[in-house]
Amino acid sequence: MKRKDFFQLIQPLTEKLYRFAYTLIPDDLQAEQLVIDGLNAYLLKEKKTISKKEIDLNSKKETQLIRRMIFKGILRYISEIGARRSLQLNEQMRLNIPKDFAPYYSLEPKVRLVMSLRYDSQFTVEEIEEIVQMPRFEVIEKLHNGRFLLLNDLNKVATL
Amino acid sequence: MIEKNGHYNLFQKKIVPYLDGSLSKEETSEFEAFVLTHPEFEIQIKNKQDEIQKLKDMIPAAMLSEESQESIETEMRASIYNLIKEEPRGLFDTIRIKWEDWLNR
Repeated sequence: MKRKDFFQLIQPLTEKLYRFAYTLIPDDLQAEQLVIDGLNAYLLKEKKTISKKEIDLNSKKETQLIRRMIFKGILRYISEIGARRSLQLNEQMRLNIPKDFAPYYSLEPKVRLVMSLRYDSQFTVEEIEEIVQMPRFEVIEKLHNGRFLLLNDLNKVATL
Repeated sequence: MIEKNGHYNLFQKKIVPYLDGSLSKEETSEFEAFVLTHPEFEIQIKNKQDEIQKLKDMIPAAMLSEESQESIETEMRASIYNLIKEEPRGLFDTIRIKWEDWLNR
């Protein structure tokens, strides 16, 4: 695959990657950096495969399929790096958290990333397992915890 | 009646996993068949869907400004050109690759 073709493949994903990164780290610059770091980690791991891969960009189906595969691949590294970085930046980021999303950012990073992948990026549980490299029971447990805590918060606000 | 309640409870517990896509294929078919034969059950699914919509609204949906989009794409392009090596197929391809490398230094 030519480099320009690879760029053409991932360019439409920029916004989605950034949006996901921001659900982990609520800071514009840090989220942008996380996207770049996730992409670099993906490229370092997959550069040989990408170089050898042939793609026909005129085939819509093939393009969509490969784009989704690459999307999940980059998300995997953003998740891994982002979960760690989010813990490190926790104190620093506290002031940056948008007020409306405070309950979401109070969740632990791994719960946040599973919730974001499921409810924002609309991935299935199987796809999330693959992206976050967690066993199915753990993904389901984190989804359950996240849902419970957020709805609890919502009910608390409603009763005030 | 007891049997009906037991059945109801069982399928009620499956609403969220169904909406989450975490049920197996067999369980999904079984669930959908149950909903078809119990139309009143759809209200409960609707309530859960509303609940999930509320959850979605609690997750930030950040957007890139035009300037940030350009800047991040420039960095992404540079990463790609720095990390992926292309095998040249002939003289013109070698020149093209060298030219692209130079542009993305």
